[in-house]
Amino acid sequence: MKAIVKEKLYYLKRAVFHPFDAFYEIRFRGKGSVVLALVILALFGILQCVSYQYTGFIINTNELASMNSISIFLTWVLGFVLFIVSNWSVTTLLNGKGNLSDILKVTSYSLVPFTCALIFQIFVSNFIILEEAMIVYVITGIGIVWSLFMLLAGLCVIHEYGFGMNLAAILLTFVAAAIIMFLGILFFTLIEQMVLFCISVGQEFIRRL
Amino acid sequence: MKKKHMKRIVSLLALGAVTLGSLALPLRAEASDGSSYVYDGYTYDFYGNAKESPAMFRLERTISAENMNGIALSGVDDVCTSEDGRIFTIDTTESRMNVFDGDGQLLISTRLVRTVDGTIALDETGNQIMLNAPEGVFIHEKQKEIYVADTGNHRIVVLDLETYGLLRIINAPEEQIGVTQFNPSKIAVDLADRIYVVVQSSYEGIIELTRDGEFSGYYGVNTPIVSLTDHFWKSLASDEQKAQMAKVYAPAFNNITLDGEGFVMAVTYDSAASDMVFRLNSKGENVLREEGNTPVIGDVWSMGTSDIGSQFVDIAVTDYGTYALLDRTKGRIFLYNFDGELLNAFGSLGNLKGEFKNPTSIAWLGDKLVISDKTLRCAYILMPTAFGSAVLRGNENYYFGDWDEALVYFEQALALNANYEAAYSGIGKNYLMKEDYETAMYYFKMGNNRTFYSKAYNGYRGEWLEAHFPLIMILFLVLAAAVVGSEIRYHKQSKIKAKAAMKLRNSRKGRATEE
Repeated sequence: MKAIVKEKLYYLKRAVFHPFDAFYEIRFRGKGSVVLALVILALFGILQCVSYQYTGFIINTNELASMNSISIFLTWVLGFVLFIVSNWSVTTLLNGKGNLSDILKVTSYSLVPFTCALIFQIFVSNFIILEEAMIVYVITGIGIVWSLFMLLAGLCVIHEYGFGMNLAAILLTFVAAAIIMFLGILFFTLIEQMVLFCISVGQEFIRRL
Repeated sequence: MKKKHMKRIVSLLALGAVTLGSLALPLRAEASDGSSYVYDGYTYDFYGNAKESPAMFRLERTISAENMNGIALSGVDDVCTSEDGRIFTIDTTESRMNVFDGDGQLLISTRLVRTVDGTIALDETGNQIMLNAPEGVFIHEKQKEIYVADTGNHRIVVLDLETYGLLRIINAPEEQIGVTQFNPSKIAVDLADRIYVVVQSSYEGIIELTRDGEFSGYYGVNTPIVSLTDHFWKSLASDEQKAQMAKVYAPAFNNITLDGEGFVMAVTYDSAASDMVFRLNSKGENVLREEGNTPVIGDVWSMGTSDIGSQFVDIAVTDYGTYALLDRTKGRIFLYNFDGELLNAFGSLGNLKGEFKNPTSIAWLGDKLVISDKTLRCAYILMPTAFGSAVLRGNENYYFGDWDEALVYFEQALALNANYEAAYSGIGKNYLMKEDYETAMYYFKMGNNRTFYSKAYNGYRGEWLEAHFPLIMILFLVLAAAVVGSEIRYHKQSKIKAKAAMKLRNSRKGRATEE
């Protein structure tokens, strides 16, 4: 058990520093872990809430009085879930070799540099003055770029795409995400109308009796 | 929540009306003449939410046709005050300058200009000097002069401040360049006796004259906003098409005044202007400080597409840099301090006494405000409430560097309005000046003032580092020693390894040669 955890963590670390190699191992030799991926995603969501409140006052312009941690958490986590699902639906049509769990692993593992930068930001921003804020922004920026690079590399490897094809697939992913959101909203609106219709029929019924 | 609250108030009112019958409900302490109209206001917090604020001003007196001793009054178009408390108003339609004292008593109403000796003044062609649709008046305290913008006659009439007699006339300067017609509308004269003349809808800027009335140039720059779509279509259009397109002119200045340091302050209500309020330096650049939590644009939010936002028709500045902007869109007065922090916004359009229809001009009369309205044909004199004077005194003392005094007044203001970010900020600045960094930080945090919080934190951090210097130094030394030590150890080990490897190689070599 301990050995397995150690191995999974080792490949997480390897994915950060050698994304192509590590994602190859994860995809073809089963070195990744869905549980670990989910934990990272959840941690990321929680850290976003923490960052909303505990980033230092000097660079924190969020309105703390109206903070809603559940909304923040769900916005970030569901955003990535939406990305994963729509990427899967696009790449399935475009001969992508990766399956849903592979995409989940790649996406979550890629969040690690961003998460680390976020922790750094939350901590350091409490001890800086306005003139030094640039340092924090730069570090966060590096984290985001690193994460994006990992994501691109990982998706290339698991889908066995070239670079151009990968970019095209990601663009289509956003289109697919928009369609999914549209369908979702449509679905909920229709359900709401149906429920309201049933309720009013019921009320009518009760009043006539 | 709010709706519920409203409902409760409405139901309470209904209950009150029913039970008390004809008894009037003292909802707001208003006398029957409306003289105690209270201007409840609001400010914006850091996030742009409007926060209710107690009134800074209430109506003290109205100057209207009743005060005119039978002389017709068709509107009040400009207001200016002198240091001794006289109020100078301009009535464009009747071509009159009316002067009142602080109590609203008419001192003089001038249309026909007289000489200092009291005889009728004649110009060089022998005609009587009559004002013709004047639009502006300015009091130049330094030379004891009144400048009247005699717009209809394209000239400026300079009168004596004491006798109201004619001193001189400034006609259109001969050497003036450009296409702007010399139709002086608003005037300001600075401490070096330079005359600044605003001509409505002049895109060349403010006309600057010497004391003798010679043209010395156009002053002030105002840049128009060019929208991205306009830019796109212009880039596609041919030269002929471009010639037919509407030209983008620099927006005109609409009103002008002078601040306590001798800087010219101007406003514009042209919607194409990128700035609306100006504090012009000697090069004509805008050096207005906008350090507050909202930019100096009046109302931050606009409601729907028909809401055009605040349009400033006039500006009035105190000696300590606090200025009032008069907005004609919603009949509001916006009060900003020297740093550009919104102190209060109040006033509204309406039919009550104290409300506006077509506000035209604003001026400070000591701590009081004089605001004129063209349609209502009156000028209101507003006096500060307890909260108002606390805020004004606080800003005044802060501006002149009396930190302790300012602190007292800001604390008073805060006691009356706990949502007042400007006061928190003000208190914080006072503690910062006294180098009490920790208290300053607390107040800056309450006032959402990140720039100054950073300054206070910088001081606090410096003090902390100084106090804990030995500890930090020891930690640093230990760390350095550890690094150096490990480096040395590593070096030693690698040396030993290298030696062993050498030995091994040598022995192998030896063996090889033996074989």
